[in-house]
Amino acid sequence: MAASNTPPASGSGDGHGDMTPEEREAFKKRADELGKRLEAAKNQGSSAPKPGAVASDTAANNDALGKAMRISTELIGGVVVGCGLGWLIDRALGTWPAFFIVCFLLGSAAGMINVVRAGTAMKTGASNPKAGPSVRDDDDET
Amino acid sequence: MSASHDKQLGLMSSLAAIAGAQALYGVSPAWAEGAAHSPIHQFEINNLIPLKLFGFDASFTNASLYMVLALSLISFFLISAMRQGALVPGRMQSLAELTYKFVHDTVRENVGEEGMHFFPFVFALFIFVLVLNVLGMIPIPGVTFTVTSQIVVTAALALLVILIVIGYGLYVHGLGFFKLFVPSGVPAWLLPLLIPIEVISFISRPISLSVRLFANMLAGHIALKIFAGFVGTLLAAGVWAILSPLPMALTVALTALEVLVAVLQAYVFAVLTCIYLSDAVHGAH
Repeated sequence: MAASNTPPASGSGDGHGDMTPEEREAFKKRADELGKRLEAAKNQGSSAPKPGAVASDTAANNDALGKAMRISTELIGGVVVGCGLGWLIDRALGTWPAFFIVCFLLGSAAGMINVVRAGTAMKTGASNPKAGPSVRDDDDET
Repeated sequence: MSASHDKQLGLMSSLAAIAGAQALYGVSPAWAEGAAHSPIHQFEINNLIPLKLFGFDASFTNASLYMVLALSLISFFLISAMRQGALVPGRMQSLAELTYKFVHDTVRENVGEEGMHFFPFVFALFIFVLVLNVLGMIPIPGVTFTVTSQIVVTAALALLVILIVIGYGLYVHGLGFFKLFVPSGVPAWLLPLLIPIEVISFISRPISLSVRLFANMLAGHIALKIFAGFVGTLLAAGVWAILSPLPMALTVALTALEVLVAVLQAYVFAVLTCIYLSDAVHGAH
């Protein structure tokens, strides 16, 4: 039973241990190959799109939709926070509407930055296993 | 081939059943009276067991009921699926393992190997939001409630995420964590302008995280209810009843979209949690 999955081309395979040299060679090759594949699988986690290209295709589609949903609120978030912050500062200091205006502009800028960052992170990141923060990866790549 | 066709047929009919129940909810005179007909009635919070703790209203509401339901469903599913721990998984175990692996890969891709100890947190968040979203899609007249359509809940989850990011970032990088707000490679005279922008950008994270989930669930359920309500209104309008299949078809389509959104939003929530955690783990470069 133990040798039953070696190719039955040469001889009996009645026990373990007595393989012909070429069988041994083939076995070693196969074992090496398996080891290599295991290693590869270990290294890249499991993002290998092997089983069923269709499944990974729909997954990519869903991923794209998720990204679209993500970007849509990034801009609003920045503006809302900017306005809120400005309003709070103004209310505390009684300087309405100075800080509101300044913070509104800053918030809009922050919203734009959010969108740009989300976009660039999507373009470069994700497939990168060591994906760092979505920002400032210009100096750690050489 | 026929098997996949059967599957599609089954999917379509179950969607139609859900949409039908929504429409029925709109038609049925018992629910049509007064506020129950309104599309936002479904978001009302009812006290099931009134309770006061230290002067706070800590009543057991229908939201609490759905959260308890979700937690027990998740626990039951995971525990019963993994009880056997077979080498060759059965259906339930396979489902549980796929969910586990999916989140596992998401965390590894977005946070990296050093952030894997956040996996339980992200998994819990993901499956909690997912089950709550999906439970909200199961129509039970007068009972159905979507917990994630309450901004209190999503904001609490987002705050939890961002507090963990700040706490862990400070724990690992010390005050160097705040270098996150100082963009590198920028001339010094621009910093007074850029640092406030970075701070606002950071504060906007929990807000966009919570608003995204809440707004998607709220808007979707309102749209669903409005279109389902059209069916009832048309049916009751004499000759116009001929037109009633139109909004019915739209309700079916919207139900499909909403199921997709329910799953997708849970995924987006988990992915963004991972991306923010990655900032805490890796810090500023």
